[in-house]
Amino acid sequence: MAGYLHVIRRALGQLGGHGGVKGLLVQFLRAADVKTGALIGVDKYGNKYFEDSKNYFFGRHRWVIYTTEMNGTNTMWNVDASMVPAEWHRWLHCMTDHPPTTHPPEPKKFLAQVHQFNVSGTSQQYVPFPTTSKKIHEWVPPKAQ
Amino acid sequence: MLRLPSVGRALATAAKSSMARNTVPVRAASNMVEVFVDGKSLEVETGTTVLQACEKAGIQIPRFCYHERLSVAGNCRMCLVEIERVVKPVAACAMPVMKGWNILTNSEKTRKAREGVMEFLLANHPLDCPICDQGGECDLQDQSMQFGSDRSRFTEGKRAVEDKNIGPLIKTIMTRCIQCTRCVRFASEIAGVEDLGTTGRGNNLQIGTYVEKMFMSELSGNVIDICPVGALTSKPYAFTSRPWETRKTESIDVLDAVGSNILVSTRGGEVMRVMPRLNEDINEEWISDKTRFAYDGLKRQRLTQPMVKDDAGQLTPTTWEDALTRVAGALQSVQGNEVAAIAGGMADAETLVSLKDLLNRLDSENLCTEEVFPMSGAGTDLRSNYLLNSRITGVEECDLLLLVGTNPRYEAPLFNARIRKSWLHNELRVAMVGHNVDLSFTYDHLGEETSVLKELANGTHPFCEVLSAAKRPVVVVGSSALQREDGAAILSVVSSIAQNARTSSGVEEGWKVLNVLHRVASQVAALDLGYKAGVDAIRANPPKVLFLLGADAGCITRADLPKDSLIIYQGHHGDVGAPMADIILPGAAYTEKNATYVNTEGRSQHTRLAVSAPGMAREDWKIIRAVSELAGVTLPYDSVEEVRSRLAEVSPNLVRYDDVEEANYFKQANELAQAVNQELIASPLVPPQLSAKDFYMTDSISRASQTMAKCVKAVTEGSAAVDEPSVC
Repeated sequence: MAGYLHVIRRALGQLGGHGGVKGLLVQFLRAADVKTGALIGVDKYGNKYFEDSKNYFFGRHRWVIYTTEMNGTNTMWNVDASMVPAEWHRWLHCMTDHPPTTHPPEPKKFLAQVHQFNVSGTSQQYVPFPTTSKKIHEWVPPKAQ
Repeated sequence: MLRLPSVGRALATAAKSSMARNTVPVRAASNMVEVFVDGKSLEVETGTTVLQACEKAGIQIPRFCYHERLSVAGNCRMCLVEIERVVKPVAACAMPVMKGWNILTNSEKTRKAREGVMEFLLANHPLDCPICDQGGECDLQDQSMQFGSDRSRFTEGKRAVEDKNIGPLIKTIMTRCIQCTRCVRFASEIAGVEDLGTTGRGNNLQIGTYVEKMFMSELSGNVIDICPVGALTSKPYAFTSRPWETRKTESIDVLDAVGSNILVSTRGGEVMRVMPRLNEDINEEWISDKTRFAYDGLKRQRLTQPMVKDDAGQLTPTTWEDALTRVAGALQSVQGNEVAAIAGGMADAETLVSLKDLLNRLDSENLCTEEVFPMSGAGTDLRSNYLLNSRITGVEECDLLLLVGTNPRYEAPLFNARIRKSWLHNELRVAMVGHNVDLSFTYDHLGEETSVLKELANGTHPFCEVLSAAKRPVVVVGSSALQREDGAAILSVVSSIAQNARTSSGVEEGWKVLNVLHRVASQVAALDLGYKAGVDAIRANPPKVLFLLGADAGCITRADLPKDSLIIYQGHHGDVGAPMADIILPGAAYTEKNATYVNTEGRSQHTRLAVSAPGMAREDWKIIRAVSELAGVTLPYDSVEEVRSRLAEVSPNLVRYDDVEEANYFKQANELAQAVNQELIASPLVPPQLSAKDFYMTDSISRASQTMAKCVKAVTEGSAAVDEPSVC
């Protein structure tokens, strides 16, 4: 009985934790999951980091709810795992138990000021170039005067 | 004038052999000796060497130093064979056979001799076959497998020889040299330059130039082919491919008017190298350096996509649809003689005939070639007027050769090699009217003034005695001499000299005296098809639309045409013609199409497709066919066979491949030439190519070639000026 009560309590908690039925639906459609947990921190882009190690087993106990707009890109429905900045990445992937809110990372030169996320499929994407010489060198017409 | 070429040829040879029977007595039976090769009886002429007798019996004796076209040296000893009841093995290449000899080509003693010789050769030969460019086509490799011993007794150190820098074409790895001296004999006998020689003796014998200098010959690349090992290899080809990786295509060279037969080696859509192919009537087994090494020009400065000029006057790439529609629109908007065409030096007969058909359908007759030829007198109406009538092999039968205003050494190197061969072996006497140039053999220089020609024609020149005493005279006039303002007068006076020489020599009717030596591959086909020679007609009557078919000699510039005229360039290289064009149609080079070319003798031959044309470039006649369809005057052929049947309609000799159609009417041509009302100009007869540096870059392909540029640099500044990557 207590088990059923626990399930109902969690379901109600998820409804409340996401701000009602609409919030729950949005969360479900964006993340395909409706977990609730303790908000550990929010990075400067608006990504929210949660933890619940009581109800979820190790590996699923930390998660991120992505921001809806990052670096000028609308990320409401188009989220990407590379949106997590470096300082949160280590906490999120359980490389450490100290989130950057309590233990701010040592500033390093190589850490980006503004985190860049995946550029695949955009004009800035990396394109490999051939290193062998061309077989045929075409004629380039002279510039018109 | 038989329609069936094979029957005609058979009759001609029959007639020739019957003539030969009258003049040269058949060898008496006593001149034949009977020898035995491995016990099999064989009749050979006296003086035949053992090696030739074995060859006749179908047995190949291994050899390194012996080469059919070079003198016998007999220093490699690989051809040792045993003769029955002769104590020592004899060198087969140098020993004439004696009556009744039994040559044992596979006896125990012969095999032991070969193994011994091979062991000595390999003692000082490096074991670098895996990194040697000759690997796979090396005589030493093959013969050591076939005739060498199966184990080594060698424990000593090997000799090493310093490499020589003999120019940007030939790479030397002299440690590999087995001192066969083929290259030395080639240089002094065929090429006629005494640059290579041997120094030292015994173990210290070295091949080289003694003082470091360039091996300066227009035929130098052939030493790569005759070198039996990897001592002399091709510098541009070094470390690029192996013979078993490449696909070989038999083709024709179009960089000069000789039409040398070549073998194009390709790999992965890229021409890797060009090698000669045997054709006794044209190039024997040699090719010139331009033919062999200019292939890298086929990969540079190429036109790979159609281009049109935009509003700013800048040529910009476009699609075929766009370019062809514009060309067709331009052709439709003009009428009659407002459209003209100029054919360049590397246009093939298929394209020439389709372009002519296209312009004829538009009511225009303004089709010209870049190369000038005098049109007065018989002009190009009589074929004998513009051909090398006595053919390249004819030089070997003549006893006096008069060259007029030409430098065959650089205009047609293989023709010059033929003259040198005849000069060396048949005591051919050569005389020259024109600039005093180095032809690699001695000749009587009669002067370079045109007055000498006049004196020769009217019999007042002292050389006329020699000329009239000649039994089989040949007169060769260079095409550049006929391109002067007084070209018609020169052709007229040369034709008189030839006619006089014919009359005084009393030579038989079939013997041709007057010859013209052309410099570009397309000229004879263009004249056969009825193109006008020279662009004077276009200059006099500037067209609104000008079609340049690979015209890169710069005969016509923008300044010669009205401002609003449209220039269409079709060709394969961005050279002289393309920058001034409004529309560029990319065509195929000679290695990229099946095309017909007619050489200076009037021999039609065809190239074969070795690689496909780069990018969006297409075969030339197909482009013209496409233009004709869009312009509403569709040409009635869709395949290369149909174009060739059209060629046969216009001029049947163009599709009788490798068959030289006889040209005649010399007398009539001479009579017509006498009617030419033109005075000789006093300026001297100077051909445009005087020394080696003028030889290498003469057309759009060789001008795009870096190898040829290196050659020019090496000739002008010395071979040390050309820096090469120092790998191996």
